[in-house]
Amino acid sequence: MVVLLDLWSYCSFLLYSYEDEPEPPEIEEGDEEELENNEDAPDEIIGGEGEEKEQEKTKRERKTSKYMTKYERARILGTRALQISMNAPVMVELEGETDPLEIAMKELRARKIPFTIRRYLPDGSYEDWGVDELIVEDSWKRQVGGD
Amino acid sequence: MFFHIVLERNMQLHPRHFGPHLRDKLVSKLIKDVEGTCSGRHGFVVAITGVEDIGKGLIREGTGYVTFPVKYQCVVFRPFKGEILEAVVTMVNKMGFFAEAGPVQIFVSNHLIPDDMEFQSGDVPNYTTSDGSVKIQKESEVRLKIIGTRVDATEIFCIGTIKDDFLGVISDPGAAV
Repeated sequence: MVVLLDLWSYCSFLLYSYEDEPEPPEIEEGDEEELENNEDAPDEIIGGEGEEKEQEKTKRERKTSKYMTKYERARILGTRALQISMNAPVMVELEGETDPLEIAMKELRARKIPFTIRRYLPDGSYEDWGVDELIVEDSWKRQVGGD
Repeated sequence: MFFHIVLERNMQLHPRHFGPHLRDKLVSKLIKDVEGTCSGRHGFVVAITGVEDIGKGLIREGTGYVTFPVKYQCVVFRPFKGEILEAVVTMVNKMGFFAEAGPVQIFVSNHLIPDDMEFQSGDVPNYTTSDGSVKIQKESEVRLKIIGTRVDATEIFCIGTIKDDFLGVISDPGAAV
């Protein structure tokens, strides 16, 4: 598995958040609530939407799981936390968090991590999945859900 | 000879530069890194004229750095055998003289200076014809032909001649003053 940084989504999001500062936090909170309240149903919808969009873009079906594996999650959180610890701009509103890993988890919950996962298949081909498209398994809530 | 070509380079970027100005940062870093360098294959990179494409960044494991493949257009200068160049003389000694054409160093041996020009040592060492009408000294501008190039990975060095028709001094600093 290779993790890519999606330059353009990064820029567009950041520009957006810088220009309309008061708005994004509300939207983020809304997103989070939706995700947390409706456990299964919205996931499917979100996954479906993502796939449709991706098909429009790439015109090719992807066949790997739409769920993020725990290895991918670990890798993403670790990489993102490392970047945050090295002064990368944070994509969510902070509420007093200082631990990079905690901030990374918050970003993952808000689906604001600007990564693309490149899943290599045994035949050498690969599929690209945006972190925002993948469904993060429920188990993370138990680990992170203190707040 | 100058060329306008498209080159590619992988740029490593520190996480602190991520953000809305990522692209600008990448381009300024590219210019800082590449302009003025020399590669044996393409010659001296004189200037970057534009950035064609910045690909998706690849996250380096363990370091947090991200590698972006960047395609850019640039002007490169590469000397060739047989090329005629105008150069400024930088040093004169009894073995010959050194001249510079932009970033390239060119050596002209005294075997490749016309036979009627003699080396004159002294305060300002120079090559002068017997009647004193033509003089090559420091800061003179000469037109010369490249007869050999040595191309290393990071350096290009040339051997030139002025023993041919229409080659030699084009302007003399002494005469101008």
